[in-house]
Amino acid sequence: MCESNVYIDRAGHEELLMESVDRIIPAEDGSIFMENIFGERKVVKARIKEMELVHHRIILEEIDRPEVLERNQEIWLEPDTDHGHFHAGEEVVLKLSKGYNMKPDQGADYSAMEAFAVNEGAADPIHIHDHHDSKEINLGQEADGLLQIYVHEHGIRELYAKVVMEIGHHHHHGLQPLGLPLEIVPSDYSHACMGESYEIQVLQNGQPLAGAEVKVTYASTRSKDYPHHLTTSEDGRTKIFLSARGNYLFSVATQNITSTFTLVKSF
Amino acid sequence: MCKDLPPLERAVQFHGHVCPGLLMGIRVAEFAQKHLGVNQDIDEELVAIVETNSCGVDAIQSILGCTFGKGNLIYKDYGKNVYTIASREKKRAVRIAQKYRDKKSPESIRYRELNNQDHLTEEEEAEREDLLALIFENTMSAPFEDLFNWQDIDLVFPEKAQIHATIQCAVCGEGVMDSKATESAEGLICKACLLAKEGLA
Repeated sequence: MCESNVYIDRAGHEELLMESVDRIIPAEDGSIFMENIFGERKVVKARIKEMELVHHRIILEEIDRPEVLERNQEIWLEPDTDHGHFHAGEEVVLKLSKGYNMKPDQGADYSAMEAFAVNEGAADPIHIHDHHDSKEINLGQEADGLLQIYVHEHGIRELYAKVVMEIGHHHHHGLQPLGLPLEIVPSDYSHACMGESYEIQVLQNGQPLAGAEVKVTYASTRSKDYPHHLTTSEDGRTKIFLSARGNYLFSVATQNITSTFTLVKSF
Repeated sequence: MCKDLPPLERAVQFHGHVCPGLLMGIRVAEFAQKHLGVNQDIDEELVAIVETNSCGVDAIQSILGCTFGKGNLIYKDYGKNVYTIASREKKRAVRIAQKYRDKKSPESIRYRELNNQDHLTEEEEAEREDLLALIFENTMSAPFEDLFNWQDIDLVFPEKAQIHATIQCAVCGEGVMDSKATESAEGLICKACLLAKEGLA
Protein backbone atom coordinates (compact mmCIF):
# COMPACT_ATOMS: atom_id res chain seq x y z
CA MET A 1 0.00 0.00 0.00
CA CYS A 2 1.17 3.51 -0.78
CA GLU A 3 -0.85 6.59 0.07
CA SER A 4 -4.55 6.40 0.97
CA ASN A 5 -7.56 8.63 1.01
CA VAL A 6 -8.86 9.26 4.52
CA TYR A 7 -12.59 9.50 5.11
CA ILE A 8 -14.46 10.41 8.24
CA ASP A 9 -17.68 8.70 9.20
CA ARG A 10 -20.28 11.25 10.29
CA ALA A 11 -23.47 9.57 11.44
CA GLY A 12 -23.10 6.79 8.89
CA HIS A 13 -22.14 9.14 6.07
CA GLU A 14 -18.56 9.12 4.81
CA GLU A 15 -16.86 12.39 3.91
CA LEU A 16 -13.47 12.67 2.25
CA LEU A 17 -11.14 14.29 4.77
CA MET A 18 -7.81 14.20 2.99
CA GLU A 19 -6.44 12.67 -0.19
CA SER A 20 -3.16 10.82 -0.69
CA VAL A 21 -2.22 10.56 2.95
CA ASP A 22 1.16 8.97 3.51
CA ARG A 23 1.56 9.45 7.25
CA ILE A 24 -0.83 8.99 10.17
CA ILE A 25 0.18 9.40 13.81
CA PRO A 26 -2.37 8.77 16.57
CA ALA A 27 -1.72 10.89 19.67
CA GLU A 28 -2.35 10.10 23.32
CA ASP A 29 -5.00 12.82 23.57
CA GLY A 30 -7.23 10.97 21.12
CA SER A 31 -6.40 13.07 18.09
CA ILE A 32 -4.93 11.83 14.85
CA PHE A 33 -2.29 13.72 12.91
CA MET A 34 -2.16 13.11 9.18
CA GLU A 35 0.00 14.37 6.37
CA ASN A 36 -0.33 13.82 2.64
CA ILE A 37 2.14 13.69 -0.20
CA PHE A 38 1.45 17.36 -0.97
CA GLY A 39 2.64 18.40 2.47
CA GLU A 40 -0.84 19.23 3.79
CA ARG A 41 -1.47 18.38 7.42
CA LYS A 42 -4.53 17.96 9.57
CA VAL A 43 -5.31 16.98 13.10
CA VAL A 44 -8.68 15.43 13.83
CA LYS A 45 -10.31 14.24 17.01
CA ALA A 46 -11.16 10.73 15.83
CA ARG A 47 -10.29 7.07 15.98
CA ILE A 48 -9.46 4.71 13.14
CA LYS A 49 -12.60 2.73 12.31
CA GLU A 50 -11.44 0.69 9.34
CA MET A 51 -8.45 0.37 7.00
CA GLU A 52 -9.16 -0.95 3.51
CA LEU A 53 -5.60 -1.32 2.40
CA VAL A 54 -6.35 -2.82 -1.00
CA HIS A 55 -8.60 0.10 -1.85
CA HIS A 56 -6.30 2.71 -0.30
CA ARG A 57 -9.02 3.84 2.04
CA ILE A 58 -8.82 4.67 5.73
CA ILE A 59 -12.03 5.44 7.55
CA LEU A 60 -12.07 7.45 10.75
CA GLU A 61 -14.85 7.80 13.25
CA GLU A 62 -15.41 11.01 15.17
CA ILE A 63 -15.01 11.05 18.91
CA ASP A 64 -15.84 13.58 21.60
CA ARG A 65 -15.92 16.69 19.53
CA PRO A 66 -17.81 17.22 16.29
CA GLU A 67 -15.46 19.71 14.67
CA VAL A 68 -12.34 18.95 12.72
CA LEU A 69 -9.32 20.97 13.75
CA GLU A 70 -7.67 22.03 10.59
CA ARG A 71 -4.39 23.89 10.71
CA ASN A 72 -0.79 23.75 9.73
CA GLN A 73 1.83 22.75 12.20
CA GLU A 74 4.51 25.22 13.18
CA ILE A 75 7.68 25.11 15.22
CA TRP A 76 8.82 27.45 17.96
CA LEU A 77 11.61 27.99 20.47
CA GLU A 78 11.40 28.95 24.12
CA PRO A 79 14.20 29.50 26.62
CA ASP A 80 14.40 27.15 29.55
CA THR A 81 14.47 29.98 32.06
CA ASP A 82 11.76 31.74 34.00
CA HIS A 83 13.22 35.24 33.87
CA GLY A 84 13.68 35.80 30.16
CA HIS A 85 17.44 35.81 29.84
CA PHE A 86 20.52 33.87 30.79
CA HIS A 87 23.44 35.08 32.83
CA ALA A 88 26.98 34.94 31.49
CA GLY A 89 28.37 31.51 32.34
CA GLU A 90 24.92 30.00 32.78
CA GLU A 91 23.99 26.97 30.67
CA VAL A 92 21.82 28.25 27.82
CA VAL A 93 19.05 25.79 27.03
CA LEU A 94 16.17 26.27 24.62
CA LYS A 95 13.15 24.07 24.14
CA LEU A 96 12.05 23.30 20.60
CA SER A 97 8.38 22.44 20.04
CA LYS A 98 6.17 21.54 17.12
CA GLY A 99 2.42 21.97 17.17
CA TYR A 100 0.08 24.92 17.05
CA ASN A 101 -0.76 27.91 19.23
CA MET A 102 2.07 27.04 21.64
CA LYS A 103 0.47 23.64 22.26
CA PRO A 104 2.94 20.92 21.24
CA ASP A 105 1.63 17.94 19.28
CA GLN A 106 2.35 14.53 20.70
CA GLY A 107 4.41 12.38 18.38
CA ALA A 108 5.54 15.27 16.16
CA ASP A 109 8.37 14.50 13.78
CA TYR A 110 11.55 16.50 14.36
CA SER A 111 13.81 14.55 12.03
CA ALA A 112 14.21 17.11 9.23
CA MET A 113 15.30 20.05 11.33
CA GLU A 114 18.51 21.96 11.69
CA ALA A 115 19.36 24.76 14.07
CA PHE A 116 21.73 27.73 13.95
CA ALA A 117 22.95 30.37 16.36
CA VAL A 118 23.70 33.75 14.82
CA ASN A 119 25.97 36.21 16.57
CA GLU A 120 27.34 39.32 14.86
CA GLY A 121 26.19 37.95 11.49
CA ALA A 122 27.94 34.58 11.68
CA ALA A 123 25.67 31.51 11.74
CA ASP A 124 26.95 28.42 13.55
CA PRO A 125 25.09 25.11 13.28
CA ILE A 126 23.94 23.76 16.63
CA HIS A 127 22.82 20.32 17.68
CA ILE A 128 19.21 19.49 18.46
CA HIS A 129 18.99 16.72 21.00
CA ASP A 130 16.37 14.68 22.80
CA HIS A 131 15.35 15.62 26.28
CA HIS A 132 12.71 13.36 27.82
CA ASP A 133 9.72 13.71 25.48
CA SER A 134 10.81 16.95 23.86
CA LYS A 135 13.71 18.49 21.92
CA GLU A 136 16.32 20.84 23.22
CA ILE A 137 19.09 23.06 22.01
CA ASN A 138 21.93 23.46 24.45
CA LEU A 139 24.38 26.26 23.75
CA GLY A 140 26.47 25.42 26.78
CA GLN A 141 27.99 27.91 29.18
CA GLU A 142 30.18 29.77 26.72
CA ALA A 143 27.46 31.66 24.84
CA ASP A 144 27.43 35.42 25.36
CA GLY A 145 25.77 38.51 23.97
CA LEU A 146 22.62 38.93 21.97
CA LEU A 147 22.08 35.75 19.98
CA GLN A 148 19.52 34.97 17.33
CA ILE A 149 18.74 31.28 17.22
CA TYR A 150 16.68 29.76 14.49
CA VAL A 151 15.49 26.32 13.46
CA HIS A 152 14.58 25.28 9.95
CA GLU A 153 12.52 22.24 9.04
CA HIS A 154 12.91 21.16 5.45
CA GLY A 155 9.95 19.75 3.56
CA ILE A 156 7.22 20.56 1.13
CA ARG A 157 6.15 23.09 3.69
CA GLU A 158 9.16 24.92 5.14
CA LEU A 159 8.99 25.75 8.82
CA TYR A 160 11.12 28.33 10.60
CA ALA A 161 11.34 29.27 14.27
CA LYS A 162 13.36 32.19 15.60
CA VAL A 163 14.10 33.58 19.01
CA VAL A 164 16.37 36.33 20.27
CA MET A 165 18.19 35.47 23.46
CA GLU A 166 20.02 37.80 25.73
CA ILE A 167 22.92 36.22 27.54
CA GLY A 168 24.34 38.48 30.17
CA HIS A 169 22.79 41.93 30.26
CA HIS A 170 23.43 43.44 26.86
CA HIS A 171 21.14 46.12 25.56
CA HIS A 172 21.15 46.31 21.81
CA HIS A 173 18.81 47.98 19.42
CA GLY A 174 18.13 47.38 15.75
CA LEU A 175 18.75 43.68 15.30
CA GLN A 176 19.72 42.67 11.80
CA PRO A 177 17.36 40.31 9.96
CA LEU A 178 18.74 36.83 9.40
CA GLY A 179 17.67 36.71 5.75
CA LEU A 180 15.15 33.89 6.12
CA PRO A 181 12.71 33.56 3.20
CA LEU A 182 9.93 34.58 5.60
CA GLU A 183 10.99 36.28 8.78
CA ILE A 184 9.50 38.19 11.69
CA VAL A 185 11.85 40.88 12.95
CA PRO A 186 11.31 42.90 16.15
CA SER A 187 11.29 46.60 15.22
CA ASP A 188 13.21 47.67 18.28
CA TYR A 189 14.83 45.02 20.36
CA SER A 190 14.64 46.03 23.95
CA HIS A 191 13.10 44.57 27.06
CA ALA A 192 9.46 44.04 26.24
CA CYS A 193 7.11 44.40 29.17
CA MET A 194 3.53 43.59 29.85
CA GLY A 195 1.40 46.69 29.51
CA GLU A 196 3.36 48.03 26.52
CA SER A 197 2.97 47.78 22.76
CA TYR A 198 5.40 45.65 20.80
CA GLU A 199 6.03 46.09 17.09
CA ILE A 200 7.36 43.58 14.60
CA GLN A 201 8.04 43.64 10.88
CA VAL A 202 7.46 40.78 8.47
CA LEU A 203 10.01 40.34 5.71
CA GLN A 204 9.65 38.07 2.71
CA ASN A 205 12.98 37.51 1.01
CA GLY A 206 14.26 40.58 2.80
CA GLN A 207 11.41 42.85 1.66
CA PRO A 208 8.55 44.12 3.85
CA LEU A 209 5.44 42.01 3.39
CA ALA A 210 2.28 44.11 3.40
CA GLY A 211 -1.17 42.77 4.22
CA ALA A 212 0.11 39.58 5.84
CA GLU A 213 -1.88 38.03 8.66
CA VAL A 214 0.25 37.72 11.79
CA LYS A 215 -1.22 35.48 14.46
CA VAL A 216 -0.15 36.11 18.02
CA THR A 217 -0.52 33.90 21.05
CA TYR A 218 0.98 33.45 24.50
CA ALA A 219 1.80 30.48 26.65
CA SER A 220 -1.06 30.94 29.11
CA THR A 221 -3.87 31.24 26.59
CA ARG A 222 -6.82 28.94 27.11
CA SER A 223 -8.00 29.58 23.60
CA LYS A 224 -7.82 26.66 21.18
CA ASP A 225 -6.85 28.95 18.34
CA TYR A 226 -4.59 31.99 18.26
CA PRO A 227 -6.24 34.72 20.35
CA HIS A 228 -4.91 37.63 18.27
CA HIS A 229 -4.88 38.20 14.52
CA LEU A 230 -3.04 41.24 13.15
CA THR A 231 -2.44 42.52 9.63
CA THR A 232 0.80 44.10 8.49
CA SER A 233 0.84 47.65 7.14
CA GLU A 234 2.40 48.70 3.85
CA ASP A 235 5.86 48.55 5.36
CA GLY A 236 5.21 45.09 6.77
CA ARG A 237 4.79 46.26 10.35
CA THR A 238 2.19 45.55 12.97
CA LYS A 239 2.03 45.81 16.73
CA ILE A 240 0.25 44.33 19.69
CA PHE A 241 -0.37 45.46 23.23
CA LEU A 242 1.15 42.89 25.58
CA SER A 243 -1.55 41.99 28.06
CA ALA A 244 -0.45 38.54 29.23
CA ARG A 245 2.39 37.23 31.33
CA GLY A 246 5.06 35.00 29.84
CA ASN A 247 6.37 34.61 26.34
CA TYR A 248 4.51 35.54 23.17
CA LEU A 249 4.62 33.71 19.85
CA PHE A 250 4.14 35.50 16.54
CA SER A 251 3.38 33.37 13.49
CA VAL A 252 3.11 34.24 9.82
CA ALA A 253 2.50 31.95 6.88
CA THR A 254 2.65 32.10 3.12
CA GLN A 255 1.68 29.32 0.75
CA ASN A 256 4.70 27.16 1.50
CA ILE A 257 6.33 28.64 4.58
CA THR A 258 5.36 29.13 8.20
CA SER A 259 7.70 31.26 10.26
CA THR A 260 7.48 32.03 13.97
CA PHE A 261 9.18 34.44 16.31
CA THR A 262 9.15 34.00 20.06
CA LEU A 263 9.12 37.19 22.08
CA VAL A 264 10.81 36.49 25.38
CA LYS A 265 9.81 39.04 27.96
CA SER A 266 12.80 39.89 30.08
CA PHE A 267 13.45 41.66 33.34
CA MET B 1 22.17 41.03 38.41
CA CYS B 2 18.58 40.67 37.36
CA LYS B 3 16.39 43.70 37.62
CA ASP B 4 13.36 43.64 39.86
CA LEU B 5 10.12 42.62 38.25
CA PRO B 6 8.43 45.60 36.61
CA PRO B 7 5.64 46.92 38.90
CA LEU B 8 2.90 45.67 36.65
CA GLU B 9 4.32 42.15 36.50
CA ARG B 10 4.86 42.23 40.25
CA ALA B 11 1.21 43.08 40.83
CA VAL B 12 -0.01 40.35 38.49
CA GLN B 13 2.29 37.80 40.09
CA PHE B 14 1.08 38.79 43.56
CA HIS B 15 -2.61 38.80 42.62
CA GLY B 16 -2.37 35.66 40.50
CA HIS B 17 -4.15 36.93 37.40
CA VAL B 18 -4.92 40.06 35.39
CA CYS B 19 -8.34 41.59 35.93
CA PRO B 20 -9.86 45.06 35.49
CA GLY B 21 -9.84 45.78 39.23
CA LEU B 22 -6.15 45.00 39.56
CA LEU B 23 -5.36 47.25 36.60
CA MET B 24 -7.15 50.16 38.27
CA GLY B 25 -5.09 49.53 41.42
CA ILE B 26 -1.91 49.53 39.32
CA ARG B 27 -2.82 52.95 37.91
CA VAL B 28 -3.42 54.25 41.45
CA ALA B 29 -0.13 52.87 42.78
CA GLU B 30 1.93 54.17 39.86
CA PHE B 31 0.28 57.60 40.06
CA ALA B 32 0.87 57.83 43.81
CA GLN B 33 4.55 56.90 43.44
CA LYS B 34 5.08 59.54 40.78
CA HIS B 35 2.97 62.22 42.46
CA LEU B 36 4.56 61.80 45.87
CA GLY B 37 8.03 61.06 44.46
CA VAL B 38 8.42 57.86 46.44
CA ASN B 39 9.67 54.35 45.85
CA GLN B 40 8.38 51.04 47.14
CA ASP B 41 8.05 51.05 50.92
CA ILE B 42 10.66 49.22 52.92
CA ASP B 43 9.65 49.84 56.50
CA GLU B 44 6.57 52.00 56.90
CA GLU B 45 7.78 55.12 55.11
CA LEU B 46 4.46 54.95 53.30
CA VAL B 47 0.92 54.46 54.52
CA ALA B 48 -2.05 53.37 52.44
CA ILE B 49 -5.60 53.78 53.66
CA VAL B 50 -7.88 51.76 51.42
CA GLU B 51 -11.66 51.93 51.49
CA THR B 52 -12.21 48.65 49.71
CA ASN B 53 -10.98 45.08 49.94
CA SER B 54 -11.24 44.42 46.19
CA CYS B 55 -8.57 43.41 43.65
CA GLY B 56 -6.99 46.86 43.34
CA VAL B 57 -5.67 46.65 46.90
CA ASP B 58 -3.29 43.88 45.83
CA ALA B 59 -1.63 46.36 43.46
CA ILE B 60 -1.22 48.77 46.38
CA GLN B 61 0.42 46.04 48.45
CA SER B 62 2.70 44.68 45.75
CA ILE B 63 3.76 47.94 44.06
CA LEU B 64 3.80 50.38 46.97
CA GLY B 65 4.82 47.85 49.60
CA CYS B 66 2.05 48.95 51.96
CA THR B 67 1.04 45.57 53.24
CA PHE B 68 -1.32 43.98 55.69
CA GLY B 69 1.58 42.30 57.45
CA LYS B 70 3.64 45.45 57.96
CA GLY B 71 0.66 47.31 59.30
CA ASN B 72 0.92 50.22 56.88
CA LEU B 73 -2.14 49.11 54.94
CA ILE B 74 -5.17 50.38 56.77
CA TYR B 75 -8.46 48.94 55.63
CA LYS B 76 -11.72 50.79 56.03
CA ASP B 77 -14.68 48.67 55.06
CA TYR B 78 -16.56 51.34 53.08
CA GLY B 79 -16.93 49.47 49.79
CA LYS B 80 -15.46 52.41 47.86
CA ASN B 81 -12.59 52.39 45.40
CA VAL B 82 -10.84 55.16 47.27
CA TYR B 83 -7.19 55.10 48.24
CA THR B 84 -5.24 57.53 50.38
CA ILE B 85 -1.50 57.17 49.94
CA ALA B 86 0.83 59.07 52.23
CA SER B 87 4.56 59.51 52.70
CA ARG B 88 5.78 59.99 56.27
CA GLU B 89 9.13 61.33 55.03
CA LYS B 90 7.61 63.90 52.69
CA LYS B 91 4.67 64.62 54.99
CA ARG B 92 2.36 64.47 52.02
CA ALA B 93 -0.79 62.53 51.27
CA VAL B 94 -2.98 62.16 48.22
CA ARG B 95 -6.56 60.85 48.15
CA ILE B 96 -7.48 59.07 44.93
CA ALA B 97 -11.09 58.13 44.15
CA GLN B 98 -12.21 56.09 41.19
CA LYS B 99 -14.75 58.02 39.13
CA TYR B 100 -18.27 56.70 39.14
CA ARG B 101 -19.59 55.81 35.71
CA ASP B 102 -23.25 55.02 35.28
CA LYS B 103 -22.58 53.72 31.78
CA LYS B 104 -20.12 50.88 31.46
CA SER B 105 -18.34 50.22 28.18
CA PRO B 106 -19.78 47.37 26.08
CA GLU B 107 -16.55 45.38 26.54
CA SER B 108 -16.76 45.75 30.32
CA ILE B 109 -20.39 44.62 30.38
CA ARG B 110 -19.67 41.59 28.24
CA TYR B 111 -16.49 40.75 30.18
CA ARG B 112 -18.40 40.80 33.45
CA GLU B 113 -21.15 38.67 31.92
CA LEU B 114 -18.62 36.04 30.88
CA ASN B 115 -16.75 36.26 34.15
CA ASN B 116 -19.91 35.53 36.10
CA GLN B 117 -20.58 32.34 34.19
CA ASP B 118 -19.58 29.09 35.88
CA HIS B 119 -18.53 27.45 32.66
CA LEU B 120 -17.26 28.98 29.45
CA THR B 121 -17.15 27.35 26.05
CA GLU B 122 -13.85 27.54 24.17
CA GLU B 123 -15.25 30.37 22.05
CA GLU B 124 -16.37 32.27 25.13
CA GLU B 125 -12.99 31.74 26.78
CA ALA B 126 -11.29 33.17 23.69
CA GLU B 127 -13.74 36.10 23.69
CA ARG B 128 -13.02 36.74 27.36
CA GLU B 129 -9.25 36.84 26.70
CA ASP B 130 -9.82 39.24 23.81
CA LEU B 131 -12.00 41.51 25.93
CA LEU B 132 -9.51 41.52 28.78
CA ALA B 133 -6.71 42.51 26.39
CA LEU B 134 -8.86 45.40 25.17
CA ILE B 135 -9.79 46.50 28.70
CA PHE B 136 -6.11 46.20 29.68
CA GLU B 137 -4.96 48.47 26.87
CA ASN B 138 -7.76 50.98 27.47
CA THR B 139 -7.14 51.10 31.22
CA MET B 140 -3.40 51.51 30.94
CA SER B 141 -3.51 54.10 28.17
CA ALA B 142 -6.38 56.26 29.46
CA PRO B 143 -5.43 59.63 30.99
CA PHE B 144 -5.39 59.22 34.78
CA GLU B 145 -7.94 62.02 35.23
CA ASP B 146 -10.41 60.13 33.03
CA LEU B 147 -10.43 57.31 35.55
CA PHE B 148 -9.85 58.98 38.92
CA ASN B 149 -10.35 62.16 40.92
CA TRP B 150 -7.44 63.03 43.17
CA GLN B 151 -6.48 65.71 45.65
CA ASP B 152 -3.64 66.41 48.04
CA ILE B 153 -4.91 66.27 51.60
CA ASP B 154 -3.67 67.01 55.10
CA LEU B 155 -3.50 63.68 56.83
CA VAL B 156 -3.08 63.01 60.49
CA PHE B 157 -0.64 60.16 60.15
CA PRO B 158 -1.55 57.00 62.04
CA GLU B 159 1.02 55.66 64.47
CA LYS B 160 3.48 53.13 63.17
CA ALA B 161 2.65 49.50 63.86
CA GLN B 162 3.47 48.42 67.42
CA ILE B 163 5.17 45.20 68.38
CA HIS B 164 3.53 43.61 71.41
CA ALA B 165 4.51 40.78 73.68
CA THR B 166 2.97 37.37 73.19
CA ILE B 167 1.34 35.67 76.18
CA GLN B 168 -0.26 32.27 76.53
CA CYS B 169 -4.05 31.99 76.42
CA ALA B 170 -5.29 30.45 79.65
CA VAL B 171 -7.85 28.31 77.78
CA CYS B 172 -6.35 27.05 74.52
CA GLY B 173 -2.71 27.47 75.43
CA GLU B 174 -1.86 29.21 72.17
CA GLY B 175 0.13 32.39 72.03
CA VAL B 176 -1.75 35.68 71.74
CA MET B 177 -0.71 39.33 71.49
CA ASP B 178 -1.07 40.77 75.00
CA SER B 179 -3.02 43.80 73.78
CA LYS B 180 -5.63 41.49 72.26
CA ALA B 181 -6.12 39.23 75.31
CA THR B 182 -9.10 39.59 77.62
CA GLU B 183 -9.25 39.11 81.38
CA SER B 184 -11.59 36.27 82.38
CA ALA B 185 -12.24 33.88 85.27
CA GLU B 186 -9.65 31.53 83.69
CA GLY B 187 -7.11 34.31 83.35
CA LEU B 188 -6.06 36.13 80.17
CA ILE B 189 -7.69 34.51 77.17
CA CYS B 190 -7.64 35.05 73.44
CA LYS B 191 -10.52 36.42 71.36
CA ALA B 192 -11.40 33.03 69.90
CA CYS B 193 -11.78 31.46 73.33
CA LEU B 194 -13.73 34.49 74.56
CA LEU B 195 -16.20 34.16 71.67
CA ALA B 196 -16.50 30.41 72.27
CA LYS B 197 -17.18 31.03 75.91
CA GLU B 198 -19.92 33.48 75.01
CA GLY B 199 -21.37 31.03 72.50
CA LEU B 200 -20.55 33.33 69.59
CA ALA B 201 -17.83 31.34 67.87
